[in-house]
Amino acid sequence: MTRRKWLDKFVKMAATVIAAVLGIPSLALLAIPAFRREQSLWVRVGPLSDFRPNEPRPVTLSYQRRDGWVIKTARTTVYVVVFGDGKIKVLSNICTHANCAVRWERSKEGFYCPCHDGLFAIDGSVKSGPPPRPLDEFQHKVEGGELFVKLRG
Amino acid sequence: MLRRFFDWLERETGIVSAWDRFWSQPLPSTVGWGQIFGALLLLCLVILFVTGGAMMFYYSPTPEQAYASVQYIEHYLPFGKFIRALHYWTARIIVLLLIVHIARVFIWGAYKKPRQMIWVTGVLLMLCVIGFGLTGYTLPWDQKAYWGTSVRLKIAEGIPLIGHAVANFLRGGEQLGAVTLMRFYVLHVFVLPILIFVLVVWHIRQVHTLGVTPAWVKVGQEEEIPKTQRLHPDQTARIGFGAISLVAILLFLSVKFPAPLEPRANPLDTAYKPHPDFYVLWLHELLKLFPPQLEFVGSFILPSILVILLLIVPFIDRNPERHPLRRLPAITTGLAILFAIIALNIKGMEALPQPEKLSPLAKRGQELFVELRCYTCHGINGGGGPVGPDLGLGGKRDPKFVETILRNPGSFNAHTVMPAYNLPPEEMRALVTYIVSIGPNSRMPPIPPVEPEKPPSHFEENWFANHKFEVRKDPESCGSCHKPFFCQACHQNRRPSSHDEMWLKFHFGNAAEQPAMCNSCHTPDYCEECHKLMRHDTEWLKGHGVQLAKFGERKQWSGWTMHQLCYQCHTKQSCNDCHEGAVPESHKAPDFMQKHGELAKVEFESKALVARKAQQACVTCHTKQFCDNCHIGKKPKSHEQPNFVLQVARDERRVKSGHALEALKKGIQSCQTCHAQQFCSNCHGTEMPHPKNFVDVHIAEARRDMALCQRCHVWDEPNCKQCHSKRPPSHTPDFRQTHPQRIADGGLSCQVCHGRNSCIDCHKLPMPHPSNFVKAHGELAKQRGIRGKDSVQRLQKQLCVNCHTDRYCRNCHLPEPVRR
Repeated sequence: MTRRKWLDKFVKMAATVIAAVLGIPSLALLAIPAFRREQSLWVRVGPLSDFRPNEPRPVTLSYQRRDGWVIKTARTTVYVVVFGDGKIKVLSNICTHANCAVRWERSKEGFYCPCHDGLFAIDGSVKSGPPPRPLDEFQHKVEGGELFVKLRG
Repeated sequence: MLRRFFDWLERETGIVSAWDRFWSQPLPSTVGWGQIFGALLLLCLVILFVTGGAMMFYYSPTPEQAYASVQYIEHYLPFGKFIRALHYWTARIIVLLLIVHIARVFIWGAYKKPRQMIWVTGVLLMLCVIGFGLTGYTLPWDQKAYWGTSVRLKIAEGIPLIGHAVANFLRGGEQLGAVTLMRFYVLHVFVLPILIFVLVVWHIRQVHTLGVTPAWVKVGQEEEIPKTQRLHPDQTARIGFGAISLVAILLFLSVKFPAPLEPRANPLDTAYKPHPDFYVLWLHELLKLFPPQLEFVGSFILPSILVILLLIVPFIDRNPERHPLRRLPAITTGLAILFAIIALNIKGMEALPQPEKLSPLAKRGQELFVELRCYTCHGINGGGGPVGPDLGLGGKRDPKFVETILRNPGSFNAHTVMPAYNLPPEEMRALVTYIVSIGPNSRMPPIPPVEPEKPPSHFEENWFANHKFEVRKDPESCGSCHKPFFCQACHQNRRPSSHDEMWLKFHFGNAAEQPAMCNSCHTPDYCEECHKLMRHDTEWLKGHGVQLAKFGERKQWSGWTMHQLCYQCHTKQSCNDCHEGAVPESHKAPDFMQKHGELAKVEFESKALVARKAQQACVTCHTKQFCDNCHIGKKPKSHEQPNFVLQVARDERRVKSGHALEALKKGIQSCQTCHAQQFCSNCHGTEMPHPKNFVDVHIAEARRDMALCQRCHVWDEPNCKQCHSKRPPSHTPDFRQTHPQRIADGGLSCQVCHGRNSCIDCHKLPMPHPSNFVKAHGELAKQRGIRGKDSVQRLQKQLCVNCHTDRYCRNCHLPEPVRR
């Protein structure tokens, strides 16, 4: 019965090969989101000359954001702080306490959150009020005199 | 371990022995390679089920997202392209296998008793597969899907009486859109799979129980063929070989030829011509055989007859013979139909547009067509942007004409938005050759995807016409992908519709509110071109007259005067808002500045005069604040009390109110913050307040103009009497006799001590005599009742002779001439 056994082996092998050809790509298609990391993207803020030292300015960024196959126009507001020594910080305008939007108030010399009277210093650190940690900071880079900010895609 | 598990499973369900029994089914010795197609069809269904199921995880059946999600599967997922291609090719191969399987079963006569129902379920399965093909066609929502579905629904509408209802049922309404897509999707992934699963199980179960038909045996004599084989491994080996070959072919096709994905469905692109898939070409050819009003015969009645015929084949053909040569009528009819279909299909394939045969030069031109992104505006028989004309339309083109248009689009149509392409001669020749070669059968060359992908809004109806509104909403958002010169490509020849004749007058408001809008086309220094001289800030307002004058000198804009430039924004009246009327003549006098105070005083204080001279009054042109421009600051509150200047009420000792009191209280320095030192003397005529040594000099001052002193001081003031109670040095012992000669100021200085009436006390007459005294002195004498010679003598004695001698009267009263 060697022929029979040989045929049996061949059929089983053929079935395995077909199952593999069909199954591996299909499963890979499903499994891929498990191994993909969220991509971040660099968004152009504008020429650096637009910002004056020690005068934080809010900038509303409008950018394309990908949600699977849906592309949305997202908007984020960041505060660009240029210090006297030329150092730059890009701060979130979201209060770390209860996610209200903070605004720069010259009279208070800080970012003021109107919800619970939180106050952050010009470098984002907490001056007074309930916020538990400094304002979130975005990574930034300067290329050819233009400021770019790294946002979470 | 595994064995123990299977033993347990067997004890519980008996499934293992059933499985073994199924595979060890004995088969007649004449069963061979011809009988593998059913199993291959099953394999195809399994492949379709698995690949389709995998894609379902990522597919979104809405018109907005369907295409994007298919693209997502294609470009963003590993194996996505492969899985979709595998699904695509299997769906085509299954149709071929189906035809082969049906033909094989027909020729073998396998549908005959007792296997009629296997045939019937097989025909139903075929209908299911066709249903899968028709519904799956729509799902990618590309151009082919949209327009192909639209054509098919139009064919359904052609059925008399029920056509419209059928089409509406399939569409889910009058329009091909979201509801249609969802219906087709649910049919494709839910209704048809359940149906086909039930039918497949039924079909195989029947085959299993009734056994495979042995070759060429008359009905009822099947048991005569010895069953020398078993399903496994004898037949499964053949199936396995077929399956491996099939999968190899599918793999090759899927890897080598990915499933086509045309541009996203564009319901506006009526130039698009969908081409039917190869396996329905014969149906399309069938349609062409009938005149338009009878089209439904080809589209509905004949195919229906064919299906019904297929269904009832086992019940018509009752010939017990199975050998083809012994049942020629059935075989010839069947083969005739099959060949008719194949012939029609071949004819249909000839009608299909042939793939273009391009010369190497035209090929290079085609590459340029893609490189230069001509397709963003022009389609080639569909596809492409909706901006320019479709190049597939229209007749033969003249190469020179094409080149002229490419180099200078304005020469053809002055308002065109097409950018000029000044290519080097070689490239131009290639592009022109390609464009000239484009005909009604040409197809759009494959367009590589451009990153980042267009957002869905760009595929909406009327996107091109409405993009300006999107730009207005959020210019930053456009700027995140497009460079400013993207707009320029079209707008250098066509200004946006907002930029009409009135635009220049009103552009400033828009520019101030939305600078990013302007910057989407114009560079920031674009404004400077015109506004260099016109920074309308406070500084500018001060010097604008000078700027106007300077502009005249510069003549930077030939033929433009500065005023014309102003009038681009301002009306002629707007100058008058400030410069109302011309400067009056009076202002031109050289000493006007010195005198204007006097004039103003008259005008501001005398209302009657203002009314009378309304045309010339200061207030016609100037507001009262105008004075403050020079006369810095307003008058203090104290100056506003009534009669501040003139009030001189006083008590015994000193001045109590009015400006003098103010001066005394605050010190003269406070006055001098505004007024010059000489300001007092304007009215007082002497140094005010009186300096310390004033007492010594006041006599001289008083003698100069006693009235000046009287403005403030009264005669019996104690201050005066302090000194003047003694006889002044002038009153020498002979003063009584000589005082008339000494009185220089008309007696005013005497009155300081003696009072106004002191002269009368002695002289009994106002002294010195008032100006009319000479006239009245006669009357005066009469009034007093001094009449007659005696009385006159007495009066003379009493009064006049005190000063005047007798002769004094004779200066006037000449003695009467002697009467004769």
